[in-house]
Amino acid sequence: MAETGILMIVGFGEGGWGSALLSAAAMTLAVAICGYLLGVVIGILAAWAKISGGRMLRIVADAYTTILRGIPDLLVIFLFYFGGSAMVTAIGRLFGAQGFIGFPSFLAGTIAIGICCGAQHTEVFRGAFKAVSQGEIEAAHACGMGLWLRFRRIIAPLTFRYAIPGLGNVWQVVLKESALVSVTGLTELLRQSQIGAGSTGLPFDFFLIAGTIYLIISTLSGVLLHMAAIRSSRGLRRA
Amino acid sequence: MMGNKTSTPYALEVRNLHKRFGALDVLKGVSLAAKEGEVVSILGSSGSGKSTLLRCINLLEMPDDGEIIVDGDRIELAKKRDGRTCAKDQRQVDRIRSELGMVFQSFNLWSHKTILENLIEAPVHVQKRPRAECIEEAEGLLAKVGIADKRHYYPSHLSGGQQQRAAIARALAMRPKAMLFDEPTSALDPELVGEVLKTMRILAEEGRTMLVVTHEMGFARDVSSRVIFLHQGAIEEDGSPADVFGNTRSERVRQFIKGHNH
Amino acid sequence: MDIQFLFDTFLELLGGVPLTLQLAISSVCAGFVLAMVLALFCASGIPFLDWFARLYFFVFRGTPLLVQLFLIYYGLSQFEAIRSSFLWPILREPYWCALIAFTMNTAAYAGSILYGGMLAVPYGQVEAARVCGMKRTIIFRRIVLPLALRQALPAYGNELISMVKATSLASIITLMEVTGTAARIVSESYRAIEVFVAAGVIYLMINFLLTRGIHMLEYQFSPRVPAQNNSRNIAVGGQL
Repeated sequence: MAETGILMIVGFGEGGWGSALLSAAAMTLAVAICGYLLGVVIGILAAWAKISGGRMLRIVADAYTTILRGIPDLLVIFLFYFGGSAMVTAIGRLFGAQGFIGFPSFLAGTIAIGICCGAQHTEVFRGAFKAVSQGEIEAAHACGMGLWLRFRRIIAPLTFRYAIPGLGNVWQVVLKESALVSVTGLTELLRQSQIGAGSTGLPFDFFLIAGTIYLIISTLSGVLLHMAAIRSSRGLRRA
Repeated sequence: MMGNKTSTPYALEVRNLHKRFGALDVLKGVSLAAKEGEVVSILGSSGSGKSTLLRCINLLEMPDDGEIIVDGDRIELAKKRDGRTCAKDQRQVDRIRSELGMVFQSFNLWSHKTILENLIEAPVHVQKRPRAECIEEAEGLLAKVGIADKRHYYPSHLSGGQQQRAAIARALAMRPKAMLFDEPTSALDPELVGEVLKTMRILAEEGRTMLVVTHEMGFARDVSSRVIFLHQGAIEEDGSPADVFGNTRSERVRQFIKGHNH
Repeated sequence: MDIQFLFDTFLELLGGVPLTLQLAISSVCAGFVLAMVLALFCASGIPFLDWFARLYFFVFRGTPLLVQLFLIYYGLSQFEAIRSSFLWPILREPYWCALIAFTMNTAAYAGSILYGGMLAVPYGQVEAARVCGMKRTIIFRRIVLPLALRQALPAYGNELISMVKATSLASIITLMEVTGTAARIVSESYRAIEVFVAAGVIYLMINFLLTRGIHMLEYQFSPRVPAQNNSRNIAVGGQL
């Protein structure tokens, strides 16, 4: 194995892994963002169920958050990837296909991340909603605003303002969680580093670079979120 | 190390104290002296520097200039390289602090210890007195301030007035030479103020040396032996209660008393 | 729904529980010691130590645990110097690599929790100790630290539960804790959904028991009204 230095690894040339690592980082961002957005939708629905749903809905939402905060995210990823593959293979067999059909890893990763972080989002939105002054919502009722209008123009914007710190925290968690999706074979950053490590016999170098890239993405996200938080709390008087 | 012990009639003395917060001169050369057994009330509007004055005496705030003498013991101060003052001998400061009892506006009882544990904490760990003796004395003090049955409770279980009485007992447990009170009743509901003032009256009648920053005009007039009025960091009036409340030459003091009389 | 299969799987998975708990508890305990050291570094006022601790928090909280795990398990084997050292028998084993990675990771989170707890101690209580003439070290030992630990207890409980979930990553480096055992059973039986659901149930049970235990601990350390059996009642009131 030729002695390849760090520069060689991140280089974009013939023997360089730079472009591969960058596209893998893009894949990491892709699966993280998609999973995160799915989680936001689930979180809004579940928070709504907990706040103003009937008894049955509330029980379901409570069960959802309790279960998902108690089991490892890796298990959920395994469940969707292997379980999904088993289902797809069974369905395929119905149509005469032979052998193992793998459930698309990007899809499995996105769904798993979405379901896992959805539970955290639920608590973020629930807490943010509680922080909104009830008077402002009552005023909306008093104007005769219908449910959808109230939600769109009053409740959602106000809740969102308080939710931003929590949303930022969940993003940082999701970013790191995306590394787990590597077990499905998806070529995100960690998987690509594993491939590179195996190919060059330099696991330390590759994982160090991967770690650095994660750190850079995480720090940049933090800066952007901080700016968003400042912008969105105009007019909000901190206690 | 006895250092600067001089014989003096005063239990507590402050000479020409200066304190600046940034560009603001909070204390502009304040001097006062309290004889043993004197009860000195310190009055003034907010921003007059009365709390700062009290907190400089036991060096919770570091004065920029001036002298502090506790029972003849002068606290050695020095200037650091950046111009700020600091104590030359921290051990001297700790020793003097253990001889002064302080009662805070917000009680500041230690929330993870019971009332009894609060009282014996400093005697056992600072004054190194035997534990059994401290416990016995503490129980006596709690009975004296009227909360003996609460000794195994935690501060959060007591009312404001009870907590402040416990804080007074905690200060007494150190067998102090003098006691400092920083607006002891300002944080209390009106109906609880009375029980704390009653306790302080008992201490005054016992002959303890007390420096009390307060808004309670009744206490200042009826219980103190001397009243000091502070205005914008300087002493405006210093005399007996009869003089300050009845006979003052200062218009400011007259206005202040009129505004605070209930 | 093959009940027999579920039951057998469940029993087999229980075999992985000791390793799960061992990894979680050991790393939280060792991590606590390291976290305490790091928190003290932050509180020390010595710039180099403070800087070091904050860098540690930044790096270990900003990168995925899996990357840290791979760095230690796979990465260290890259160096001839380590392979021929006396540490190699330890660093070669997945169990110790997992333990080291989990410990270093939890120390970063726990350290910031502990330091936050120290900062949150009400300053008034520290002042009350200062005016008694207490030395700085005694104030820290008897006032700041106990209050900081009490403050940090709920967050620390969460950290323990997070750690139990994190141990599932050890399955990726061949350790047979609950998730690892489940993956093995799935590869043999192809019945992914049943096996992983059973594994989920086991984690939920562990989680439930741990949460109860932590609540009991929080109750023990919270200021409680004493039992009403003080028979010696010193006469009260009317004293003044």
